[in-house]
Amino acid sequence: MTALRIILILAALAVLAAVPWFGSDVLIQFGINALLLAVLAQGWNIIGGYTGYASFGNSVFYGLGSYGVAIAMVQWHLPFAVGLAFGVVLAVAFAVLLGIPVLRLRGHYFAIATLALAQVMTAIVSNVELAGQNIGLVLPPLNNDRLFYELSLGLLVLVTLTVFWLTRSRFGFGLIAIRENEEGAEVMGVNTTLYKTLAFALSGVFSALAGGIHAYWVTFIDPESAFDISLNVKMIIMAVFGGPGTVLGPVVGALSLSAISEFLSSEVTSVAGLFFGIVVVAAVVLMPRGLADVFRRFRKTGWRYFAENIRAHRL
Amino acid sequence: MNAKPAVREPLLDVRAISAGYGGMPVLHDVALTIYPAEIVALVGSNGAGKTTLLRTLSRVLSATGGIVMNGHDLMPMTSDQVFAAGLVQVPEGRQLFDRMSVQDNLLMGAYRRTDRAAVARDLDRMYTMFPRLSERRRQLAGSMSGGEQQMCAMARGLMAAPVLLMIDEMSLGLAPVIVEQLMDVLTTIRDEGVTVLLVEQDVNLALSTADRGYVMETGRVVHSGPAKQLIDDPEVRRAYLGL
Repeated sequence: MTALRIILILAALAVLAAVPWFGSDVLIQFGINALLLAVLAQGWNIIGGYTGYASFGNSVFYGLGSYGVAIAMVQWHLPFAVGLAFGVVLAVAFAVLLGIPVLRLRGHYFAIATLALAQVMTAIVSNVELAGQNIGLVLPPLNNDRLFYELSLGLLVLVTLTVFWLTRSRFGFGLIAIRENEEGAEVMGVNTTLYKTLAFALSGVFSALAGGIHAYWVTFIDPESAFDISLNVKMIIMAVFGGPGTVLGPVVGALSLSAISEFLSSEVTSVAGLFFGIVVVAAVVLMPRGLADVFRRFRKTGWRYFAENIRAHRL
Repeated sequence: MNAKPAVREPLLDVRAISAGYGGMPVLHDVALTIYPAEIVALVGSNGAGKTTLLRTLSRVLSATGGIVMNGHDLMPMTSDQVFAAGLVQVPEGRQLFDRMSVQDNLLMGAYRRTDRAAVARDLDRMYTMFPRLSERRRQLAGSMSGGEQQMCAMARGLMAAPVLLMIDEMSLGLAPVIVEQLMDVLTTIRDEGVTVLLVEQDVNLALSTADRGYVMETGRVVHSGPAKQLIDDPEVRRAYLGL
């Protein structure tokens, strides 16, 4: 990485960190949502982008993180930080217990199996008294959006540094090897079961932390919203839009798509959903490897880049 | 038969291995001994159990019996532990990382090694041994010809600094001239001290390069001995060489 790029990133980070001090309340609230989505997209990037396992189960981690905080604070009257830790423990336990059987499946089978997990969790949590059954839990309110904003930003920095570390570490190369050829990785002495489970858990830890922060911020959770599968779809779209398997792609993808979505839903309310869909379809057709790949190759290929991608789809 | 191996300590000692898939037994009481720095050919027709034996040795498949390598009991180990002990496989179909460069593929072979200087030295050695790979070090592995890919797979295996290199169906689908080059490489690495277990369907090819050989049939070892002797064995000649 060049010095210039590091300076640019630090400058962008400083601007983002300063937003709560000059932005409006609406902007701060939009910021918290966008940052948490970026954390989710970046977390998904670990299992989906680097390890090559398209997980639809990350919204389960998010829900477990939310419930960790809610149960700890409401039922046991413990501080927020303890709740976050509890959520992380739940997520890791879930990743290990279900990751080991589910990660044996590959490709579409893995996606479908994890897709079912979120549905099952909704049904289970709806019947757990400690979790407030299907009524949900109401958390003690904390009116400090600046704090939530900076927490979310801090978490985004943490998950991005983790992904950056992956690109430099032996562990990360093991994951990439699994994505490129799992059998090949196994023959080369990569303990694939362990690595996949660790990647799933690591991905889950960040989703859980995001869920925990979100739960305390909105002060209310119920099974439907905590284990919302459309949230998982969103994080995948954002990561893929930005560039899966890259360090900054998912962050850029999440922040830009959040902005587009927010703009559309406030300016052209009636057809906003349609426009968002068009944005996604156009992105998949024109730049299937995400923004990161466009930035990398556009200078060399020019507008031909998009034409080539269309041709590659045989449209 | 051969007096020399008897005085040496075996590198790999396989005893009474039985294994199978589900309830279906494939290997029956297989025994095999490999001495340091020799090329051993494991030959037999389709379905004889050669690949199953390899899978058992690399501990991907559970089995009963005993496998001892260099004094380590391999039976309770997992596949990555066996790899760490120095038993490295060049799998059938190569299983390269197609979208990675040749160089990255070779470095993946050294994945578990921490001695950077020695890894760099081995990388140079591979490029000397396989000049074709040196020309193509920046090229994506998946875009090369079959022969070059097989070279890449073998070099990747050697980058793991194996004690015993097991090569499954090396010659499959390759031009004879390439196979000949690869066979020369096997002799070279044997002379450098790497032991090779060569699993082949091409009986003649394998036995003409190997030091010793084992012939498998329906999950059993039916013949074994020095390669020259096996090639001349009338039964082997009739069954496998069509002579």
